[in-house]
Order: sequence, then structure tokens, then C-alpha cells
Amino acid sequence: MTTTERPDLSWLDEVTMADLERNPYATYERLRAEAPLAYVPVLGSYVASTEEVCREIATSPDFEAVITPAGGRTFGHPAVIGVNGDVHADLRTMIEPALQPAEVDRWIDDLVRPIARRYLEQFESDGQAELVAQFCEPVSVRSLGDLLGLQDVESDKLREWFAKLNRSFTNAEMTADGEFANPEGFVEGDEAKAEIRSIVDPLIDKWIEHPDDSAISHWLHDGMPPGQTRDREYIYPTIYVYLLGAMQEPGHGMASTLVGLFSRPEQLEEVVDDPTLVPRAIAEGVRWTSPIWSATARISTKPVTVAGVDLPEGTPVMMSYGSANHDTGRYEAPTTYDLHRPPLPHLAFGAGNHACAGIYFANHTMRIALEELFEAIPNLERDTREGVEFWGWGFRGPTSLHVTWEV
Amino acid sequence: MTFAVTVGGRSVECGEDQALLDACLRAGVWMPNSCNQGTCGTCKLHVVAGEVDHGSSPVETLSDEERCAGMALACQARPRGDVELRPQGTSAARTANPLRDMVATVREVSDIARDTRRILLGLNEPLTFDAGQYVELVVPGSGERRQYSLANTADEDKVLELHVKLVPGGVATHGWLFDGLAEGDRVDISGPLGDFHLPPESEDDGGPMVLIGGGTGLAPLVGIVRTALRRHPEREVVLYHGVRGEEELYDGDRLTELTEQYPNVRFVPVLSHEPADGYREGFPTDAFVEDVPSARGWTGWLCGPPAMVEAGVKAFKRRRMAPRNIHREKFTPADA
Repeated sequence: MTTTERPDLSWLDEVTMADLERNPYATYERLRAEAPLAYVPVLGSYVASTEEVCREIATSPDFEAVITPAGGRTFGHPAVIGVNGDVHADLRTMIEPALQPAEVDRWIDDLVRPIARRYLEQFESDGQAELVAQFCEPVSVRSLGDLLGLQDVESDKLREWFAKLNRSFTNAEMTADGEFANPEGFVEGDEAKAEIRSIVDPLIDKWIEHPDDSAISHWLHDGMPPGQTRDREYIYPTIYVYLLGAMQEPGHGMASTLVGLFSRPEQLEEVVDDPTLVPRAIAEGVRWTSPIWSATARISTKPVTVAGVDLPEGTPVMMSYGSANHDTGRYEAPTTYDLHRPPLPHLAFGAGNHACAGIYFANHTMRIALEELFEAIPNLERDTREGVEFWGWGFRGPTSLHVTWEV
Repeated sequence: MTFAVTVGGRSVECGEDQALLDACLRAGVWMPNSCNQGTCGTCKLHVVAGEVDHGSSPVETLSDEERCAGMALACQARPRGDVELRPQGTSAARTANPLRDMVATVREVSDIARDTRRILLGLNEPLTFDAGQYVELVVPGSGERRQYSLANTADEDKVLELHVKLVPGGVATHGWLFDGLAEGDRVDISGPLGDFHLPPESEDDGGPMVLIGGGTGLAPLVGIVRTALRRHPEREVVLYHGVRGEEELYDGDRLTELTEQYPNVRFVPVLSHEPADGYREGFPTDAFVEDVPSARGWTGWLCGPPAMVEAGVKAFKRRRMAPRNIHREKFTPADA
């Protein structure tokens, strides 16, 4: 393809948000084939869909981070995923100490394993369960919630928050005039934030006076001159980043890994028999259905040509990592879950200086949860009376996963 | 010609035609190992420095990608120079029962069941091993080696007890152990090998156990079950012996005696093909599923034909035994 022979992309005018949320793969497969960097009208944005173009833009000096419009409307400024320069450096410095591998190794087992066991005890004698709501999501939110200092917030409340923030963050449809097509779609996110503030503000008041070892307390105090704390308005957008993505995605990753393994019963059995394969199963699970499917973006800092497309300075591009991880240029039969696929690096956690800060924490949370699940219920089977539906364009995972086992 | 093999800060000498695992075990440097025929992958490790010849490592066990990534099977790989190794998942090598070559003397050969012999081998000096491990016998004249589990407990260290099943046409059994082997014969053996044994006594919590042996797969279980009961006389134990017909059963008195000596032991012979009065019919793994409603918190031990071991793993998991508590002898009969 050359810049003078543009493919006819008028079919993109027909693509709706509902299509993308139900199943984005067909649209993105066509994008990868016809226009790996293309303007998608319903999103009001350029979209990068192949592995090569996503990686190029994510690591390019000619691009920096920007939050998507609906994301910015939901989180406000400055969220760590959408800022650059000194503010980004300060926010990463604020969140990273607790997420360093050596630090995570110190407490991750003691944090996650008892939580996983506790949720398993509630249903392991029932012979059936819906794992998304009863295990994957609760283990994910409880582990991170306790780490953040939100021990007193019920797991179901944390699940409700991430679901509302998710729908608000991915309320991405734009009109031709560049306005949000469904402004009412932000209401539930605003309500969730108001409730979060009503619960977290008093905690912040307490942590300002009485710092403890919780992550948010450290965010307030670490690196600040004596007697000073970071302004809460400065850290709230990043708290929302955590309360959405960091809370939700380990649950998505576990559930997708399980659905993938259920599609290959012999591979499920291998993993159950040999727990050292769990990390590999998870890596393939998040490649196969990437939890952060299309939720981050970059913006050009000067006129630049990418994949044959000329972009003026200040052009936002949405990074479709879920699509890049299905790139046939890189993966054979990418729609198939395969534990034994050559373990090439994937883009489920992004790339460049905005790559996910919680990779190590998330991977180990998922690992420990699945180890405990297979240990307690080695005879797990998918309940074939129920289907499995995936939902989501920005964030993606199974909406439910019914399982059964002999007790 | 020998090379230096370094693992976990210890250095051992390894011959150019000697497997890395063999060299380490002989020097008392333990590394995970099980089948010693390249098929189970237990001894897979990282070659951190130096080069190895992968020998006959099967590609199913050690893929090309793994070879490129510097992995090797210790039981198959030979050094091409000095090498440094790092076992998978373990940081430090620990010392265990050293692998030794010995000459044993046949003390007794007895027919104990249809096509089944008990062979007792006397040693000049005691062998250190864990109950359930195995030894290799060198088949005279052929250079072939065959693996047989020990039925002994660790203190029965001067007379080794093997149970051997006739394999029609087998080099070791048909051509030797069932044909011409006599008291007083000298036999070259190496051992002990394998990871099919109880945890150290300090880590053995005395929890319930199920053991399923198919045919002469009973042998290591005879050593393991006696060791386990000596440690914890009150522990719950169910031992199944699966054979085709009554004529293949052996050691019934010895095992029934255990049920009289210890309060919570059950011994259950099961006949798969030739029903007889007073015996359970079917496969031992099915009998376990019928008998034990839940095996949560149990450990399981399987030794026998591959199909039986597979079925046993499934049966144990069906009764919710944690997979890490399922132990199986991984070497498979190479005979015939």
C-alpha cells in the first residue's frame, strides 16, 4: 500500500459501538488487513490495530500518552495513563515502589492466597459456581483493595465501582461534530465517583494525620517534604485508574484464561496436574483475550507518517492491544487458545514508558488465584448448559463462567 | 576425558559420554529426576554456561525452542566442555542418596504368581535409598539396562527385593530373569534413582493415603506403605492391588497382616478380567472412586501400566485430591 492508494474504508461508517462491544475481532481483523492505522468514525479517532503499528507508536519518540476522550471525561486530570513529562514521572514514582517485583514478592503470597482460599471455601462444596462473580472478580478486588487500604469497602462495592467506571470510560461513541454521542452514559460513572469520594475522602483525612502502610497512604506522603502531602485532587484520577483497570483486569485475565483452557480440555488437565504451567496459561489467556483491549491512546507530538498514513501534530491514536495480540503476522491461528504456542512477547500489558505498572502484581495475583482454584477443585468442568459470552471493546472478558464439579 | 559440571555452587566431574544427571547424582548433588529415559521432563534444567550434546533427548520432551533457550534434559545431555547448570525452580542443590554402581549377588528367585517373580539381591555394603525408589539392572551380554522398583523400606538396605513380571520376548525378563537366573549369580546394578518416595519424615503430616499398584507396580508401594505406617501407625491407608486374575495376586498375606497390625489400613485386591469369589471386580481406580467419597487432604501413589496411572490421576482428581499430592512412578516398561 502507498499513501496515494487509500483503500475504501467506507464500511467503517456502519460500525457501531454495540458491534465493537459485542465482538470487536471481525472489525479489527479487517482493519489489520486493509488499514492498520485507520480513522474509525464511531470512535472519532485513529486506531492502531496491528502488532507492528501498536508497538511502533507505543515506543515512538514522536508520540506521547493521551487519555481517550471518554476516559478523560471519566477520570479527570492528571491520570497516570494520560500524562507525560514531570507529572507522569512523579505519578509513576508514587505508584511504582509498591509494585516492584522484589517488593511484591515480599507479600503477594500472604496477601492473595488467604483471600483466594476464603472465597473458595464459600462454594467449593456446592458442586457448581459462577466463577466470574464468585471467584475471579472477588479475589482480584479484595487483593488490590486490601493493598490500597480499602479493607472496609466490601468486595461487591468494589466490583460495582469498576463496572460503572468501565462503562463510563468506554462510552466512546462520538458524533460527527466531535461531541460525545451518549452524554448520559457518564452519569453512572459520576455517581460511582461521588460514592468513592464519600468513602475515600475520610480515609485520606485519616492517612494525612496517621500514615500507615497502605498504598494510598504512601501515595500521599512518599517523596514529599515533612509535613506536606500530595493534594488529593492530584491523586484521585490515578485512584480511579486503579479502581477501574487494576481492580477489574486481573479478574478478566483469570476468567479468560479459564475459558481458554476449557476450550482445550487436555491443556486444562496439563495445567491442573502441573501448577508450574499456570503462568504460561495466563500469558496465553491474556494474549487470547486481552483484558485491556482498547483503552489507552497516544498523541503525535509532531507531523509524522505511520503505516503510510500522514498524521498532523496532535493526532490521537487509540492503541488496540487486543487486536495486535491476534495479528496473524505474528501468531499462527491467533483466535485459538494454545498453551503450547511459542511464547512470543505480547502486548496485553502495553509497551513503552506507559506500559502497565502492575504487570508483576497482576500476574502473580492471577497465578495464586488459579493455583488455589485448581488445588481445591482439580475436577473442574465448564457447565455446558450455560454459554460463555464475552463483552467489551475497551476492556474485555467473559461476563460469566458457569462451572461444575463432582463433590 | 572429563569436564567440570557446576550446579548450585558445587562442581562435579562428568565424563564426555556421561549424562549430566548421572554425574551429579553420583557425586551426591541432587537434582529433580524421575524417569531417566528422557520422557518425563522432570530433570529439565538451564545450561547457564557451556555447551551440551542433547543426545537422544526426545523433541516431545525438549522442544527446539527450549534447546535454543538453553534448556537441556539432565538425564540425556552430555557435556561438550565445562558447563554450568541451574535446575528449574530451585535455587540450591541439595544432597541426597548418591547414585552408585554395585555388584549384587542373587540370593533368591521365587515364582510368586503367574509370570511373576520375586528376586532378592544381596549387597556387600548397604545402599542408601528412600522406599519407593528404583534401581537399574544391567542385562548381561546386551548392555541394556532395565529399571525395577525396590519393595524395601530404607532400613532393609542389604538385600534388595524386586518384583518382576515376564514380558514375552523381553530381553531382560524372557531372556534372562525368567530364563537361567540362579542363586549366586552376580548382577551389575546402579541406584537408587527416581522421585517416587515419601517426603522426609519431618514433612510427613501423617495424612490419609491411597496407593494403587497394577501388577508388579505393587513393589514400591510395599516399601512406601510400611514406611508410612511406621511413621504414623494411626494414619488412614487404602492400598489397592489391581491384576487381571487371582493367579496374578501375590503378597496377600503380607499386606493383610498390615491391616491386622495397624487400625486404619485397608487392603483391596481387585481383579479386572477373571472374576473370582471373594474379590472385587473391575479396575482398582474405579474401586477407589466407589470406596472413597472425598480424597481432599489425601496423598495418592500410583505405580503400574500407563493407562492405569492415567486413570488413577483422573480418579484422584475426581475425588478432589490436590494434584501436587498425586505421586506417580514415571518410568515405563521398556521391555519387549
